[in-house]
Amino acid sequence: MKFLPVASLCLSVLLACPVRADETCNSPYMANLIKGQEDYVHVWTLGIKGIGDGRDKLVTIDVNPASPKYGKVINSLSVQGHGDAHHVGFTEDRKYLWAGRLEDSKIFVFDVGTDPAHPKLVKTIDNVPAKTGFVGPHTFYALPGRMLVGFLSNPRDKGGATGIAVYNNKGDVVASYPNPTGKIGDVQGDGYGYDVAINPARNAMLTSSFTGYDNYRTDLDKLIKDPAAMQKFGNTMVLWDFKAMQPLQIFSTPGAPLEVRWSQSPGDNWAITATALTSKLWLVRPDANGRWQARDVGPIGDPASTPLPVDMSIRADGKGLWVNTFMDGKTRLFDLSNPEAPRQVYEKVTGKHVNMISQSWDGKRLYITTSLLEHWDLGNDDHFIKLYHWDGHELSEQWKIDFYKEKLGRPHHMKFSAKPAPNVASLR
Amino acid sequence: MWRRCVDHWPLLPVLLLFLLLSGTENVPTAGAAPQPVPVRSQLIVPAAGSYRLPVIQPGPRGMVLDSDGRDMPLERYITGRVTLLSFMYTYCTDATACPALFSTLNALRERLLNAPALAHRVRLVSMSFDPANDTPEAMKNYGGELARPSQSLRWHFLTSRSVERLQPILDELGQSTSVQLDNLGRPTRLYYHQVKLFLFDQQGRVREIYSPAFLQPELIYRDIQTLLLEAGTAQTHAAVPADRRRQAQ
Repeated sequence: MKFLPVASLCLSVLLACPVRADETCNSPYMANLIKGQEDYVHVWTLGIKGIGDGRDKLVTIDVNPASPKYGKVINSLSVQGHGDAHHVGFTEDRKYLWAGRLEDSKIFVFDVGTDPAHPKLVKTIDNVPAKTGFVGPHTFYALPGRMLVGFLSNPRDKGGATGIAVYNNKGDVVASYPNPTGKIGDVQGDGYGYDVAINPARNAMLTSSFTGYDNYRTDLDKLIKDPAAMQKFGNTMVLWDFKAMQPLQIFSTPGAPLEVRWSQSPGDNWAITATALTSKLWLVRPDANGRWQARDVGPIGDPASTPLPVDMSIRADGKGLWVNTFMDGKTRLFDLSNPEAPRQVYEKVTGKHVNMISQSWDGKRLYITTSLLEHWDLGNDDHFIKLYHWDGHELSEQWKIDFYKEKLGRPHHMKFSAKPAPNVASLR
Repeated sequence: MWRRCVDHWPLLPVLLLFLLLSGTENVPTAGAAPQPVPVRSQLIVPAAGSYRLPVIQPGPRGMVLDSDGRDMPLERYITGRVTLLSFMYTYCTDATACPALFSTLNALRERLLNAPALAHRVRLVSMSFDPANDTPEAMKNYGGELARPSQSLRWHFLTSRSVERLQPILDELGQSTSVQLDNLGRPTRLYYHQVKLFLFDQQGRVREIYSPAFLQPELIYRDIQTLLLEAGTAQTHAAVPADRRRQAQ
């Protein structure tokens, strides 16, 4: 097993390869990226009535092939109640995992640094709307000493207008910033929010946009039959001066742009996103005059059939992008050698429906889960986490844990962790 | 799980950019309208004073040792001036860790010295992780000429009397540190630590924390200017009686 400090000794390598992603989609400000074999995967899991205790929970799986418990659930930590458990994010020191849920806007903080095999709940933040003015904490993005939280909605009309809040690592609100609703240039802001992603080398932050509480808490079948509700999706991305937290440009990206991934390749200056409803990839980069632009660079599957691209994971070298499409249960690989013209080079049906995808730093292992939103999940019980190996040509399934059979719930967002290294001690 | 240096980001291009920009700034004065800053590279640089740095957290309290071996409250070194503070140890040889922070601070010092109106309102603080080996004398030797009280921009080189005195300060600031053990499980002199630089306002509150990904000297300089402009505005505001302020509005 490769422990983190082993990788850390390769300082010149690290210096040449700035880290900016998952292990590959973590904040660039996060320490201790796992570049060898991860030991555990933590899965933030929606509690479902009638499935086990019905509560949201952080499920920990042993994923080290050398372990006798490889591919097994080794810990399940339930929190109070259930409320559409969704995304998680580490603090910058990787000691704590912040986990949000979209129904009651609670944020749970788990200690995953002391004993990652047995996380502990250390704090519950239950006054989020009152303190931030927003509802639906979605993205948790580590900054030094604090956590940037991207929201989906607001408590006033439960529509899509929302914003971003900054918490310090003690759990206090530092500041909050509404997404732009006015015009910048020729583009009207819609105020909607979803993901946040920063390029520190440029002091540039991108935000994307989804939909508000009323929509994401409505059954999908009902929602798509409501033309007025279907108009209430985000159609923009925003480029921010991150230092000043001021919006600089708004891009028209119709159809709910979701996950934002900056290329991690040194010298690259572009990001990519996918619009869920229109099933397209969009490239954001400066033009020859230095003016940032967002451009549709190609479809994902057949947009007419609404495959619904949801999560995606960019390769560490920025040359490839895995995209999960929810409705057809496919995992697709795009060649990003030329980001102006992404090319799908592989696809495989990995479930009846699939949502999140997380890859190891070396791109050889991909973990896939199934749940999208409590009220949007399809009417089947195919809820799992699977590990696939990627050999450059084919995805091969290694194991599957059925979250319904295990009476856990519906698995959503995943993060990796590693055992503490044996050759370090606390300060004294 | 800790390592000697984390969050590595290519510093050299940034330092080169900084050097190119050194000495070209117009120092803003309190109350003056912020001037837009031309984009000299693909780095987005906001004008000083055009943005606000929110208060991240209060500054830590505790006792430290100055380079003459005197017990002093840390508060003395993080209030009254805009302060950049980093933790280090004198024998750190990881070029991307303590030496990189030192270089960044030294370059900022040089730039600030070219703007005397700013320099006397700013201080730098380097504080050791290692009370056992980094004695006040060692810190004084490490600081050399930079530590001399006669310098127009003060740079303090501090240590602490014990780990027990130091640890609460580190904890309060979220500065993670651990010691590397040898094959027999005995502590070595090597530290794994996060690379962080803390910016305090004149009230001693943390207003920015830079990790290697954030170590953009141009932006740090703007942040210093922004806090000084804020303080200047506050002083001007405080000097005008409330009724006159209302009339002016």
